[in-house]
Amino acid sequence: MKKVTIDRRQFVKLTTLGGGGLALGIMLPPFPKMGNRQENSDDPVPCDHFQPSAYIRIDKKGQVTIFVAKQESGQGVNTSLPMIVAEELEVDFQKVKEEIAPFGSLPPEAHDTGGSQSVTGSWEELRKAGAVARTMLISAAAKKWGVNEGVCKAENGMVVNAITGQSISYGDLACDAAGLPVPTEVTLKNIKDFKIVGKEQRKKNLKDILTGQAKYGIDLKLPGMLYAVVERCPVLGGTVASVDDSAALAVPGVIKVVSYPGTGKPMHVHAGVAVVATNIWAAMKGRKLLKINWNEGERNKDSTTQLFKTFAVKAKEQPAKIVHAVGDADAVAAPKSNILSAEYAAPFLAHATIEPPNFIAEVKGDQCELWGGLQLPNWAVETVSTACGIPKNNIKVNLALMGGAFGRRLHSDFAIEAVKIAQQLDKPVKVIWDRTDDIRNGNYRPANYHRLQAKWDAKGAVQTWEHHVLSTPIQWMMEGPESSGGIPSENVGGADKDFWYGIPNIKTSYTPVDINIQRGWLRGVEPVQNVFAVECFIDELARKLKKDPLQFRLDLLEGRQPFAAMWGKTVEPDRLAAVLKLAGEKIGWTQPRKKNHFVGIAGHMFFCDSYAAHAIEIELLAPKKFRLVKIVSTIDCGIVVNPDGLKNQMEGGTVFGLGQALKNEITVENSRVVQDGFFTYELARFNDVPNIEVHTVPSEAKPGGAGEVGVATVSPALCNALAAAGYRPRTLPIKNEGFTWV
Amino acid sequence: MPTFTLNVNGTQHTVEAEADTPLLWVLRDWLNLTGTKFGCGVASCGACTVLADGQAVRSCVWQVQNAEGVAITTIEGLSPDGSHPIQKAWETVSVPQCGYCQAGQMMTLAGLLNQTKKPTDEQISNAMSAVLCRCGTYHRIRQAAKLAVEETNK
Repeated sequence: MKKVTIDRRQFVKLTTLGGGGLALGIMLPPFPKMGNRQENSDDPVPCDHFQPSAYIRIDKKGQVTIFVAKQESGQGVNTSLPMIVAEELEVDFQKVKEEIAPFGSLPPEAHDTGGSQSVTGSWEELRKAGAVARTMLISAAAKKWGVNEGVCKAENGMVVNAITGQSISYGDLACDAAGLPVPTEVTLKNIKDFKIVGKEQRKKNLKDILTGQAKYGIDLKLPGMLYAVVERCPVLGGTVASVDDSAALAVPGVIKVVSYPGTGKPMHVHAGVAVVATNIWAAMKGRKLLKINWNEGERNKDSTTQLFKTFAVKAKEQPAKIVHAVGDADAVAAPKSNILSAEYAAPFLAHATIEPPNFIAEVKGDQCELWGGLQLPNWAVETVSTACGIPKNNIKVNLALMGGAFGRRLHSDFAIEAVKIAQQLDKPVKVIWDRTDDIRNGNYRPANYHRLQAKWDAKGAVQTWEHHVLSTPIQWMMEGPESSGGIPSENVGGADKDFWYGIPNIKTSYTPVDINIQRGWLRGVEPVQNVFAVECFIDELARKLKKDPLQFRLDLLEGRQPFAAMWGKTVEPDRLAAVLKLAGEKIGWTQPRKKNHFVGIAGHMFFCDSYAAHAIEIELLAPKKFRLVKIVSTIDCGIVVNPDGLKNQMEGGTVFGLGQALKNEITVENSRVVQDGFFTYELARFNDVPNIEVHTVPSEAKPGGAGEVGVATVSPALCNALAAAGYRPRTLPIKNEGFTWV
Repeated sequence: MPTFTLNVNGTQHTVEAEADTPLLWVLRDWLNLTGTKFGCGVASCGACTVLADGQAVRSCVWQVQNAEGVAITTIEGLSPDGSHPIQKAWETVSVPQCGYCQAGQMMTLAGLLNQTKKPTDEQISNAMSAVLCRCGTYHRIRQAAKLAVEETNK
């Protein structure tokens, strides 16, 4: 049992809540206005529930509802987060309902969903929320019975008197508990007493998904709602020169065509012409009949062909910025025979959520209401406010379930578009992107390039590690090229202070290169870029030095003490070694293998405090043609909240990474994305995916994240397996190097 | 605007729509059956798959004028309570992550099982490879499909 203090600034008891609740402690948002709270109301409000915080509501019938602040997009927070609350609250998890915590019921940043931070960042707060409610229910029961709280305990939605055996349900205690002060100190459960956390739980909305009842943003419908689709300027920064909308307006159902200018940083909304209709099909038909002349602006000649040429030239030049240095790599001399260098490249990538971007907005005067899925609703409010000239406090957000996000819905370009259209209408409007819109107007994972070099001494001990990262920085799109003195650092994830191998002289550096397309964060973010290069090059080095690639890694991790990385994170080399060892064991690293079967391995630490590795077995069928035999995924993310959810995330991360290794690629010509849908932007499909095994290293460390940590090591593990077979792909996707697979 | 009579999940509906309107939008926006999803509009992802007289078809490229006189089944009609063997298998294996594509996945398998009661692994792979899942639940779809085939043939 652990006593924790409750921050009174966070759990503050408010007088009344609109809608009939009584006297309930609730998270106090940092801004003064909140929902429909009736302050200083003397009217007696009949009690029908207990709501000790924005996270929990217990009604008089005993129904427990847990409100989820983080946005569900398939990563399972609508199950894992309520599990944490329910654990401390002592209720039957199967009977708990989950609901989206309304935007405004918590500090706005509490809804931010990204960086695999939901479980790790909410763990203590949600345990406290559960414990506060439990403590208040116990107090209410003790008062009712006139006994000491010490003889009362909570279990399964009841408070039980340990002496008399009497029990009373949470529902029957709700209104008594609602009248009590929020405690200043509560006791958290001992981890070994956990009954819910650590046990497999099904997704809370599983049945709704399976019966077609789950409502995503795109499924929402408002009275009188109109539908819109948008033709966007093909080049970022361009403007509408002229529009002939006469044919579009002649389509039955089309009621208006509206234009709007694009925006600059951070969202870089393309200038657009929207066709608004009473139904989506009319809007789509009308759009095809628009005749638009665009002013493309001056930056309409960029291409990825040129970009990768520039990368290759600059990779050998002085880097723009030294990011991290240990020892003095430049001062170490070695004969040519003791130097290895290699270059790696990976393309732009699109998120391609199967629910395409879509959004509903309604504007009445200077008031605006939004409906849809957003990973960062607070940022959406800010950016909509700035881009559309609506005061922040006048923007109401209604959050929705997301059909995938992967970082696409961190941005709010689609919300800004919807508001810009709604500002020219007197009804709510739903804007739907088609697949070409999505693939061509994304916030792309940056294209990236890496030059690595290592030197070793006469005994074969590695003395230097130099890694020059080049990419198209996200930061320039967010803050402008003038930010950070002009040179950002996007090296996190194996190429900054978090580089995990024990080598005496390290130098990592960064050079930005620009191109006129929007960039953003994709599941796995920078580690996916850097780990590909790092985990391939360490493998190359091992093979060059005629050492076993797994043992070589373990030797470089052996005896290393935990060390500080960026953002207050600590890298624990032992935990990385453990996931690598487990992956090796489960793929049969040291076992005899069938003819033409080869294995590759890779591991990394992700800044959500999790460690993961992949080991992949392939069978070489013909030159450059292989079969994926098996993929092993291992993870140490500390305490596991929902083992089934974790497994699903690691399987999903593996498939996400596999698609990137094999075939995902966005290219650019004349500042336009070439790919136009799923026929040309190829994603992993059912027949690409072999048997996947997920294994967990048991841990009692604080829970880490799992949404992203399963992506980065797939590409290097596959490339390392191909290296074992005699190849060494250094460019993703490997289809571009002529590989085929069955 | 012309009217069309549709048989969806055993119920007759009369809708007024342009003849070339894809059935997908009629289901979603006219009949409020939003379980069938829009993913691409060009039959490249399978999210919109429904059954037409038991056969899996892509409702995003099937015009409403061609959908009369056909028994249409959507995910809402596969079984409203989730008791269909495919839904049960999906539940047992705990397939979904975001869940958005899963109606299309299940309807595709339902179409295959209507054609072939005991499909081979290769037939399952060929059918299911037509439906994209960005969350990457393919590994579980394979397990659930096999389970559904077993249960269907019991």
